[in-house]
Amino acid sequence: MDSLWEHYTVTDAYDEMRGPTNQARPSSDRLSNYLAGLDHKALDIRKTAADMAIMEMGITFTVYSDEGNIDRAWPFDIIPRIIENNEWRRVEVGLKQRLKALNCFINDTYNGQSYIKEGLIPASIVDSSSNFLKECVGMTPKFGAWANICGSDLVRDKDGTIYVLEDNLRVPSGVSYMIENRVITKKVFPELLQDLDVQPVDDYPTHLFEMLVSMAPNDIKKPRIAVLTPGIYNSAYFEHAFLAQQIGAELVEGADLIVQEDDHVYMRTINGLEKVDVIYRRIDDRFLDPEVFRKDSLLGAKGLIRAWKAGNVALANAPGSGVADDKVVYAFVPQMIRYYLNEEPILPNVPTYLCSDPEQLSYVLEHLDELVVKPANESGGYGMLIGPHATKTEVEEFRKVIKANPRNYIAQPTLALSTCPTLCDNKLEPRHVDLRPFILQGESSFVTAGGLTRVALQKGSLVVNSSQGGGSKDTWIINTDR
Amino acid sequence: MLSRSAERLYWLARYLERTENTARLLSVYMNLMFDMPMDVEISWRNLLTIFGAEEAFFRLYDVPNEQNTMRFLLTDTANPGSLFSSLNFARENIRTSRELMPDEAWQQVNEMYLFAKKNVETATNRRGRVLILNEIMRGCQCFTGFLSGAMSHNDSLQFIRLGRNVERADMTTRILDIASILLADDRSDRLRQHENALWMHVLKSLSALLMYRKHRRHRVNSGDVLDYLLKDLDFPRSVSHCINEVETCFKRLQKPEGLDDNLNALVSSLMATDIYCITPAQLHNLLDDIQVKLGVTHNQVASTWFLAAH
Repeated sequence: MDSLWEHYTVTDAYDEMRGPTNQARPSSDRLSNYLAGLDHKALDIRKTAADMAIMEMGITFTVYSDEGNIDRAWPFDIIPRIIENNEWRRVEVGLKQRLKALNCFINDTYNGQSYIKEGLIPASIVDSSSNFLKECVGMTPKFGAWANICGSDLVRDKDGTIYVLEDNLRVPSGVSYMIENRVITKKVFPELLQDLDVQPVDDYPTHLFEMLVSMAPNDIKKPRIAVLTPGIYNSAYFEHAFLAQQIGAELVEGADLIVQEDDHVYMRTINGLEKVDVIYRRIDDRFLDPEVFRKDSLLGAKGLIRAWKAGNVALANAPGSGVADDKVVYAFVPQMIRYYLNEEPILPNVPTYLCSDPEQLSYVLEHLDELVVKPANESGGYGMLIGPHATKTEVEEFRKVIKANPRNYIAQPTLALSTCPTLCDNKLEPRHVDLRPFILQGESSFVTAGGLTRVALQKGSLVVNSSQGGGSKDTWIINTDR
Repeated sequence: MLSRSAERLYWLARYLERTENTARLLSVYMNLMFDMPMDVEISWRNLLTIFGAEEAFFRLYDVPNEQNTMRFLLTDTANPGSLFSSLNFARENIRTSRELMPDEAWQQVNEMYLFAKKNVETATNRRGRVLILNEIMRGCQCFTGFLSGAMSHNDSLQFIRLGRNVERADMTTRILDIASILLADDRSDRLRQHENALWMHVLKSLSALLMYRKHRRHRVNSGDVLDYLLKDLDFPRSVSHCINEVETCFKRLQKPEGLDDNLNALVSSLMATDIYCITPAQLHNLLDDIQVKLGVTHNQVASTWFLAAH
């Protein structure tokens, strides 16, 4: 009977579904049993159905290659990842706490920098951050909410502890896939969802919409909202279109917008110019406004920052929020929580060594083969060194890179990312996963029920980014109390 | 709505209409060719004439036989006017307009696209081709159905309607242009024997046979067919009906003064023409004039509402 699980071997990492002796964890009991009742053929039929649905629904992401941009089908693994509700409640509170503190930090950064005066963070770290925008000094968005949409990456270590690995405060993506993954699961395992108390995830667009409305300038009751996309060649274009559709917003490109003499933003419609009140922008700071930032940018709109500073348009996330999306600043988040909120951090950080600090740098250089070294400002898993998996030459190359620009690097111990049973060649095998929940902050805060689980599809690999061969899973927050 | 979106929806509708019309025309033409004796002066080449694509064809192929003509018009993506090309363009336009339309509409177009991509090889034989063409026609009709069941009659829909009707009127004139061969004074006796069948196929290629019969209650003949397809106000693919639709859209979109002057002129000249005693040359000129005026209207639509207008 137990054929699927018989050959499943848990590694020394924490497995999300099976305990150390390959017994089902209580929250995964039903799913485990259900899967055990399926043979390889039945699993294959479901996998094929999922692949078909993804193709037909057109769930894609764009990959840049030498042959031009290719739309790839979204990589999805049909086996869900389960998190127990009581555990999740704690994570949810921890994430809200974290984003609140980060927003206090950003606001402080642009308004007086009290934390530097109090010796919390060295001034040099903020001054040298490439994401600090001097144009934002003196601004305070409504509710002090700079980063309205945050995607934090969570990982679970060997002992089961959930750590925050990083906070993406610029233009985090993935939430559309979280929602679409559930749509597919409903097609593939309808019978399972009927028997289990799984929290829905499709309420996210409603909360996103409400948050954006709450940010509207001058308390406009029915603001006109636009999603600003770099266009169809952006890797996340699918998501931009998806979210615009879900919240009933206009999907605009830079060329659709114009800022007039009155410092208001307008969009070009068939009936002439119409005012825009809130912009959920999915363009990086530097490309937002050629008047202020990159002069060659065709993606943004001239005068956008002027309109924002005049208080005539809300931008989410606010320009300059990226100052907190820096792996060096990350290291200070627990202190921020204590300093601004006077609370103890609920979610721990991964221990982080700052290469800008000479003592910590020398430790890092001595232990390169055990550590993960990351650039402070990159995203997408690029330009990093995974010590235990790197060759000697790679390590030595990286040593030079770090020494050349220590401020730009941090190092962390290599965590044994937790694993989750994943369908590989019709068999279940453990593969490493992380989790990206999405947190909203406007007038109030919201956290998605679970988030996007990303899975490294290659055996032993820790790289979960979809641009580098990672896959994804539906994530179930399950109530086991009833 | 955004000017950019208006433009995309307009083109989406044009390309989808072109896809459906091409499928229907190829399918009917294949049927016609199966029926015709070998020595009659109707050939695969006439099909290229209807699409105005002879020059483009001979840049890519030598012989206008069944294989080559069909490949060129159906699957060849080197031909921007082929069915697959139109479908690709339609998909690209709807992919970038998903926030304006019911999800099913996007999925329908996407499924057609995937289907076409998967079956491109089977189009080389007649049986495979028939199946593909049927599937495409069905798919296009599903799309129209989704919209009629789930889409408000808002500005977005007006631009879809505009694109569809401009394209449709254009296609009807192209199909009727083949009538100039059927009406030529020097046509062969063999052709005269099959005339009735040919006119029936003209009606079929516009899905008009049944409605024609109900309306005219007369055997199929050249004068009635031409009159019906040019002047009938109720049949969805007649030129007059399409122009009416375009004018209705204009009103809904609160068109600027003078935008329909061009179409009004077109309608008056059409109505003033006695279709029953028209010569082949006059017919050709009339159809040509309609196509030119449709082009003018297209340009006016673009300069009134689309992004470049700003």
